[in-house]
Amino acid sequence: MDRLASVLFAVLRGLVQAACIVALTFFLCRVMPGDVVDVLGLEGGLTADQQVEMRRALGLDQPLLSQFVTWVSHALQGDFGRSLRFDQPVSDMLANALPVTLRFAFLSFAFGVGLALLLAIAATAFRSRWLDGLIDGINIWSIAVPTFCAGFAAILIFSIWLGWLPVIGGLLMPVIIIGLDNAGQIVKSLREELKEAVMLPHVRTARAKGLSPWRIAIAHVLPAAAPIMLALSGLALGGLVAGSLTMEVLFALPGIGSLTLNAIHGRDYPIILAAVTVIAVALVLINTVIDILHRLIDPRLA
Amino acid sequence: MSAPPIAVSAPRSAGRRWPVGVLLATVAVAIVALAGLVAPWLTANSPLDQDLLAINKGPSADYWLGTDHLGRDIWARLLYGARFTFGISIAGTAIAFAIGAGLGLFALALGRWSEATLYAGIDLIRALPGTLLALLLIVGLGSGTGPLIVALGISFAPLVAYVARAAFHREAVRDYVHAATSFSGGRIHVLVRHILPNIVGALVTQAAIILPRCIVTESVLSFLGVGSSPDAPTWGRMIADSSRFIERAPHAIVIPVLALVVLTLSLSVLGNDLRRWLDPVRENAGEAAEPAEIDPQLAMPR
Repeated sequence: MDRLASVLFAVLRGLVQAACIVALTFFLCRVMPGDVVDVLGLEGGLTADQQVEMRRALGLDQPLLSQFVTWVSHALQGDFGRSLRFDQPVSDMLANALPVTLRFAFLSFAFGVGLALLLAIAATAFRSRWLDGLIDGINIWSIAVPTFCAGFAAILIFSIWLGWLPVIGGLLMPVIIIGLDNAGQIVKSLREELKEAVMLPHVRTARAKGLSPWRIAIAHVLPAAAPIMLALSGLALGGLVAGSLTMEVLFALPGIGSLTLNAIHGRDYPIILAAVTVIAVALVLINTVIDILHRLIDPRLA
Repeated sequence: MSAPPIAVSAPRSAGRRWPVGVLLATVAVAIVALAGLVAPWLTANSPLDQDLLAINKGPSADYWLGTDHLGRDIWARLLYGARFTFGISIAGTAIAFAIGAGLGLFALALGRWSEATLYAGIDLIRALPGTLLALLLIVGLGSGTGPLIVALGISFAPLVAYVARAAFHREAVRDYVHAATSFSGGRIHVLVRHILPNIVGALVTQAAIILPRCIVTESVLSFLGVGSSPDAPTWGRMIADSSRFIERAPHAIVIPVLALVVLTLSLSVLGNDLRRWLDPVRENAGEAAEPAEIDPQLAMPR
């Protein structure tokens, strides 16, 4: 397969993936027991007639498939409908929430991947047992400590007992917690990969020439490990989504995660659908870009 | 981890080693499991009864670990919580294996086409992080303990399916499989009688590694308000319930958080040790043969 075909395949796969996730979400939202009319009916005491009328107005009496087609054709034009609870266009609500999540996710990602790289390179360059221990520690931490538990601990210690940081809206604590979690997920594999790359003949040559450890690590070892680094940063993204959900709820950040959860509790499915669609499209997009880069830099894959 | 590396050069042939960490982890898990089993003998109080005269109280003679915001006994909730936390996660892991390994191995044994179809299907939803998938499934299935278990199982099933595939392909090229096939052994026969016994170790190891992740995911879902029902208080749910009272009753959060972290940490340590012991191939050789293949371990749903 030549490179163009390989890239096209990656793009096509991304499109199909996004479509599948959106369809899955749509049907899961529709089979959920108790629709919004039931919820509003319980709260506001709508009569049976009013409920029927409301279902018709919302298109809920149509067959599922035609509801789906209608929704997709509107969504493609950027129209995700109106929130059933707040009577606002969903796209406006998304546009308000998206920057919050993006800023949070970008900062966490940069901190996490940066920390992982720094630790892995330093451990490789200096072959330090102490740094390897630290890497193991962060790895186990990320597996065993749920991020929201770390969040509660941080709130208790730094906000309530020490009074240093605000609970609401502050980005420092959630970014460090999610960044650490991200770093822990990837740092161990990165370290293993670099350990293997150090054994490569050209690295041994560089060492024989007497280059400094940092120079060898950055100029000779790192490029050899680039493909796996790409794949690993793709993995870190999944953690970022779940992390955004919990951290936004815990620290009251008005992002996509808070929006989605409030919508789930309120059965506000236009928002659930739109939010998951945005998340899915973003993830698939990034994964596809990573996939393409991967194919371009690793000739074994193309 | 922090212990000085004294016994590094000790002979390994002396049989199974019991490092301090593994020993501590075993003890911790045993205590939690036992506490869950004999909970009614360790406390006279019910985990659900509310004492409205003792709300958010610290430890006392009646309530050894104090009470939460509804006056429920934290000690009793901790004990019964061990039962529900373990029970729900073990059930979720079991379902993940029934679906992931069962379906995966069946498709693998039947041949290339069924394998390609099943794994293409899994690939399509793979971009969705496990926590989000579980969240959406609960949206569709309704909340409560039953749907929670099913959602946990389904969201971890892809991971199991990938592990099953890696293990299957590792064995499928061995001579004994060729021999069995050339003696006209049917595909399912070869799978069940010849391959399965040789990959059981890898699968059991995987179960031990998934269990703590299942516990973490369950607690995250509880924290997000879509976890177990109120009458099945898991530790995650205890944390979630008390989260709004973190300032007035920090003990109501700190106690279940500590319990949860100790349990997941111990289970992770045990899982890693089990992997070293039962599945040494992967530990020594790694899975670096395929350039694009990442350890399926890493692709953990979060």
